[in-house]
Amino acid sequence: MTDYATEYSPSEMIVTAGARQLEDNKVIFAGTGLPLVGITLAQLTSGPGIIPVFEAGAVGPTLNRNLPLSVGDSRTTSRASFIQGLNAAFEMTQRGFIDIGFIGGAEIDPHGNLNSTMIGDFPDSYMKPGVRLPGSGGAGDMSCSCTHTILIIQHEKRRFVNQLQYMTSIGHLDGSPDARKKVGLQGKGPKRVITTKALMGFDDKTRRMKILATMPGETVQSIQEATGFELLVDDNLYEFEPPTKKEIHLIREVIDPTQIFCKRQRPQRSA
Amino acid sequence: MLWTGLSPDEAREYLEQKDKSKKDKRMTLTQAVKKFINHGDNIGVGGFVNSRQPVAIAHEIIRQGRKDLTLSFQSAGLVPDYLMGAMALRPDHLSIKRMEFAYVGHEYAGTSSMFRYMTENNRLFIEDWTNFNMSARFKAGAMGVPFMPIRSGMGGDIEKCNRSQVITCPFTGRDILLLPASHPDVGILHVQEADIYGNCRIKGQTFTCPEIAMASKNVIVTCEKLIDHDVVATHPTQTSIPFFAVDAVVEVPFGSYPGVCHDYHYYDKLHLEYFKGLTNEFREGHDTGLKTYFDTHIFGVRDTDDFIELIPYRQLKYAQQTESRNLELQTHLVPPQA
Repeated sequence: MTDYATEYSPSEMIVTAGARQLEDNKVIFAGTGLPLVGITLAQLTSGPGIIPVFEAGAVGPTLNRNLPLSVGDSRTTSRASFIQGLNAAFEMTQRGFIDIGFIGGAEIDPHGNLNSTMIGDFPDSYMKPGVRLPGSGGAGDMSCSCTHTILIIQHEKRRFVNQLQYMTSIGHLDGSPDARKKVGLQGKGPKRVITTKALMGFDDKTRRMKILATMPGETVQSIQEATGFELLVDDNLYEFEPPTKKEIHLIREVIDPTQIFCKRQRPQRSA
Repeated sequence: MLWTGLSPDEAREYLEQKDKSKKDKRMTLTQAVKKFINHGDNIGVGGFVNSRQPVAIAHEIIRQGRKDLTLSFQSAGLVPDYLMGAMALRPDHLSIKRMEFAYVGHEYAGTSSMFRYMTENNRLFIEDWTNFNMSARFKAGAMGVPFMPIRSGMGGDIEKCNRSQVITCPFTGRDILLLPASHPDVGILHVQEADIYGNCRIKGQTFTCPEIAMASKNVIVTCEKLIDHDVVATHPTQTSIPFFAVDAVVEVPFGSYPGVCHDYHYYDKLHLEYFKGLTNEFREGHDTGLKTYFDTHIFGVRDTDDFIELIPYRQLKYAQQTESRNLELQTHLVPPQA
């Protein structure tokens, strides 16, 4: 029987869920923050052959110099196989070397398009937005050219919206067949959405967001109530397994001992 | 077509008549900024987010004051924040009119309050791109071609905010995006090693520093340390930027502090977060802290040596010790307290 942790935080749940989505021996475009903790957790459990790539130019490092605070910092280069710059990293993405990219955003729509640019009327208030966010960075590029993407976002109603205020990172666009290909894109778009409440995928026909699994303590109803649009529910809906004691030990003692990204506050008890 | 900085033809013509000789290019940072940065210039900013940002050069630009600048970069934190901070405090002394960029912020340390302040008050003309877009624009400039075909930054709203154009590829029949080349008037870079002629050796990721150097009209380089030309000539494959792309070489240890400089020092999180905190306060309407910081750390000092002398030794030491050590060795270090 699996030995589940009795206590874990929402961040630790997301990290565990992210790690479990990653297949061994795949090339993963790594962002900082929780995705990085998830990638490292996967490397230490089911995916020792996972190859991280960082947009500032490092391919295949082992993260043994503590967690990098930036995708461009020196810690991303530790024992890397190849180091160049941004053009090299994005050229290999455009070429098709990257299997999966992790992307986040402030807003997400039913087809997995993301906003990380601005809150306000676009284009009218582009030069004077209500809230200006940092901008695309490399997320827009990853969304276009990684073979698949996994989206990580906080599950709040104001973030899950029918209509984005600005489309920064491309998901399945309007969900129509070949929508991405028609605008000239190569990658296949979002495959999974991971939140504190659910693991979701996309319907094969409509490419609308669909609940695949509920996180421990959540129900379809509680997830729907925190979402600003109608979610589909998979026929084989299941409850996501809580983090195991081993996973929590690795996160807390080995990967992020100083809680740079994976906070332990707000612990929730498993059922 | 609007070319900010130089048009491809202007950039080519300038280079044809430029003195490309292998001469000693050492000068002070004061001299370099005075000579190569003019009002109205488009400045290509090297580094990436808070890694190897040309902070010392930005401080000198702030001390001297320049108007109507354009900043071009992929992702940056410290340099735009310092320049926007100066503009917020003394707009008659330093002003930015335009930014071409993909990301302004501090990653783990949060969004940029100065960027929020400037954009939300409509003080800048902004042009959003992606990281690959900006990188490829510098690369097109470096290659001497007027545009770069690319498969990202299309399909959403980013392409509506900038000068890119979708065309039908004449070979595949599919849509593809064309990005205009970027030729900044001046590239500002901080690297680890350079010789007196301007040959640069970058450690770790190159970001887009080589592309910015090759694309720009003039280039100012600060380096952690000057190295003998013989070292360069013995290992020429390690040269990231050739001398004839560089116009000024200044040895400035800690030239990208408080950001990270690969192999030399990690972030000084205390100072970075202290400065970031003052910009947060400024956006919330309390300008005293930021004013005092600029008066004591930038306007009130002559150069980077003076600036670094204001930083407690323990913080500098810790930033150096946390660079290039494995996690196990790092756990034996005691972080300095504010």
